[in-house]
Amino acid sequence: MTVDKGNKLARVSLDNGSGEKLATDPKLDSGSQKRIGDQLRAMYDELMQQPVPDRFRDLLEQLDKNGQKDGSQ
Amino acid sequence: MTSEPEPELREALLAAVPSLRAFAISLSGQVDRADDLVQDTLLRALSNLHRFEPGTNLNAWLFTILRNLFHSEYRKRRREIEDPDGSYAGRLKVQPEQGAHLDFEDFRSALSQLPSDQREALLLVGASGFSYEEAANICGCAVGTIKSRVNRARIRLASLLNVDDIDDLGPDSMTRAALQG
Repeated sequence: MTVDKGNKLARVSLDNGSGEKLATDPKLDSGSQKRIGDQLRAMYDELMQQPVPDRFRDLLEQLDKNGQKDGSQ
Repeated sequence: MTSEPEPELREALLAAVPSLRAFAISLSGQVDRADDLVQDTLLRALSNLHRFEPGTNLNAWLFTILRNLFHSEYRKRRREIEDPDGSYAGRLKVQPEQGAHLDFEDFRSALSQLPSDQREALLLVGASGFSYEEAANICGCAVGTIKSRVNRARIRLASLLNVDDIDDLGPDSMTRAALQG
């Protein structure tokens, strides 16, 4: 009897917790979440649009030349 | 012997630079340090090309390298800081290169106050466009851990930026004002 009850309770709590353990963490409302996301992407987009510094182009070209010369590096 | 990058691969690496830089700058908060990180990442990638599986996500592989370099360097720098002559603190104040002006001051400063594991999870999922699964692979942790870190990062940012307090304002009221004006 007591065992049955225990099983039922366990099943109920499993059903309630179907959304992983995240369900116990507080969550932001969707409006705030969107606002944070928008600001994050705006900041990131600005960084993505910065011109690629010459050093990276030079680096890859340099390696290409070296590679053709001696096949190492 | 034949480890020189093929032209296609070189283009692919070059194409990855803007997103690697954006991630590195947001992670470290410093442009010059970020550029060093990106350069080290490219060099590391080129010398480990044989370990890259063609057909898999090149960007995810590069982000993994950069992230690991960032963390090992961070540990090294923490030891350096023990050095009490103040030269490290001096170097911290190096200004970004000319033309590399950084906007979004408030957001950036809030981001820098997050624990680094939360910051990187949020950047990977919320800005770099990786799935939770990809981000988990990059960070070498469970998907649930990434979800939890992203969630906590958002909550912390919202409270640092007082986003909760302006729920009824923001873009919507600006749009309304623009429409009326």
